Amino acid sequence: MLIGFTVLAVSSIVFLLIHRLPGDALFSEKLRGHAYAELLHHYGLDQPLYTQYWNFVVGVVTRGDLGESLVNRGLKITPLVIRETAISAQVGGVALIFTVGLGIVLGVFAAIRQNTWIDYLLTTTSVIGYSMPNFVIAALLILVFGVWLQNVTQGTFFYQLGGWKGDIGQLWLPAFALGFPYASIVARLTRASMLEVIRQDYVRTARAKGLQESVILVRHALRNALIPVITILGPLVIGIITGSVVIENFFGIPGLGKEFAQSILNRDYAIVIGVFTMYAAMVGVANLLVDLAYVFIDPRIRYG
Amino acid sequence: MATAAAVVVAQELEPEQASLWSDAWRRLKRNRLALVASVYLALLVVVALVALVWTPYRMSAIGLAPTYSGPSAAHLLGVDELGRDILSRLMVGAQISLVVGVGTQLLVLAVGVPLGLIAGYYKGYLDTVLSFLINVFYGIPDVLLAMILVFILGPSLTNIIVAIVATRWMDMARLMRGQALSLREREFVEAGRAAGAKPLKMLFGHILPNALGPIIVQATFGIPSAILFEAFLSFLGVGVQPPTPSWGSMANEGVQAIQYAPHMVLAPSVALSLTLMAFNFLGDGLRDALDPRSRR
Repeated sequence: MLIGFTVLAVSSIVFLLIHRLPGDALFSEKLRGHAYAELLHHYGLDQPLYTQYWNFVVGVVTRGDLGESLVNRGLKITPLVIRETAISAQVGGVALIFTVGLGIVLGVFAAIRQNTWIDYLLTTTSVIGYSMPNFVIAALLILVFGVWLQNVTQGTFFYQLGGWKGDIGQLWLPAFALGFPYASIVARLTRASMLEVIRQDYVRTARAKGLQESVILVRHALRNALIPVITILGPLVIGIITGSVVIENFFGIPGLGKEFAQSILNRDYAIVIGVFTMYAAMVGVANLLVDLAYVFIDPRIRYG
Repeated sequence: MATAAAVVVAQELEPEQASLWSDAWRRLKRNRLALVASVYLALLVVVALVALVWTPYRMSAIGLAPTYSGPSAAHLLGVDELGRDILSRLMVGAQISLVVGVGTQLLVLAVGVPLGLIAGYYKGYLDTVLSFLINVFYGIPDVLLAMILVFILGPSLTNIIVAIVATRWMDMARLMRGQALSLREREFVEAGRAAGAKPLKMLFGHILPNALGPIIVQATFGIPSAILFEAFLSFLGVGVQPPTPSWGSMANEGVQAIQYAPHMVLAPSVALSLTLMAFNFLGDGLRDALDPRSRR
């Protein structure tokens, strides 16, 4: 319910802002007079703003219809956006798994080896990690693996256009570049909360019972240490979505992010609005999943 | 431009006034990484200032050397696809980055602090509205909204700063609100109210100074995120427009030539990473110095 409302609010704001702009993608030297008017009519752009807005909202709510591309006439936006979301979700999903997995493992390691050289190495690396823009990481990766070690990967990491599924050989470079800055943040957070948890009495009790250290760490300590980590999963997903705009353009992945940047540069407002609506929906769903994950990890938290 | 340096200087200049600051300065001095970071940032500010009056070559002069040629004695960092001197462009790019970073944070302070202060201190429906707004804004992918805003307003430096502020003001507002919420319950605030202090005096004379530590830390962390933001926008081509160089757009040009002229992408990338890293290390240092309780 709230998600629906936010999505609608966000897309409405963008819709109204964009439609206040002078000029449009339809205008060109070749189209004059009647033809131009006909085209405006085709898109309903000759109607007053509130009618356009109403039609847009009704279309989205009742039919899930985001309209039609202004630049590529006849191209329906909804199927386009859904297909691209599937591609983006693949890359983003691999990046997310990678981010959380690597972040937690490194964070736990740094915590149980606190104040040793491993700890210092990991904490310093994590500052470097989140200080590097993802396109810098991507550029370095391409430079090392694509240019200097050409023979190793044989340049297979460029995403093939038209394919639905990229294999892991193609995905890992973009996913790594996308996830690494956030992996650093997850690692820092895991380390801090792990340090706090392993000093608590119940962990000492577990040790006194003679449990194996690995069981204590994973079953007892980590589970509680993960609660603050889940809190940043929401911002993390937003971060990965945002980062994907850059990374998809970088690697030529035909996903939602590439479409967004291209449409802005092409002045295809209809697609900009459609993609942005999709993004808002994804963020809403992600936040909902994060709330559910709380309950899963910490049974003390219950909702209504 | 030199907020970070100014903070350090301010702490140095008024050791007697408040023991917190002299304490913090003492702790900061012991943090090697933060010190190295401040020295680097001071140098960066000097470079940016020098670039106002002098660069090795004019930043937009083309055909200075064979295009794509690598580093040499005449061009320390090589030249780009139009034969422009990369070092000169990097120096001008430093100005852009610093102006965006510091300018954004100043505006964020100007917007976020009063909003958070009022919402946190008075609570009530004002607070409800602000909290709702903050939550809505946190749900929007920031760079994407900023891209749309820059696109709508037109790509100029001021508009880029405005767009970044519009998507990042709530970091400061949320922090300030939290601080105000907890500070308003303390005895000294009650004492101030009992003594009949005016609301403005209360907010800016008593609450704000006591929240200054976290605010400074937040602002220091905000600068690199704004610089990164601008680099993103420029990398995608909706940022500062050519011929003005930005590290983000230089990296983008470099990526096109990554096969045969890696120096083009490496130079701005390294500059960008070092700068962001320096701000983050300084922020870490400041946090440890200003809030010793948060340590380990």
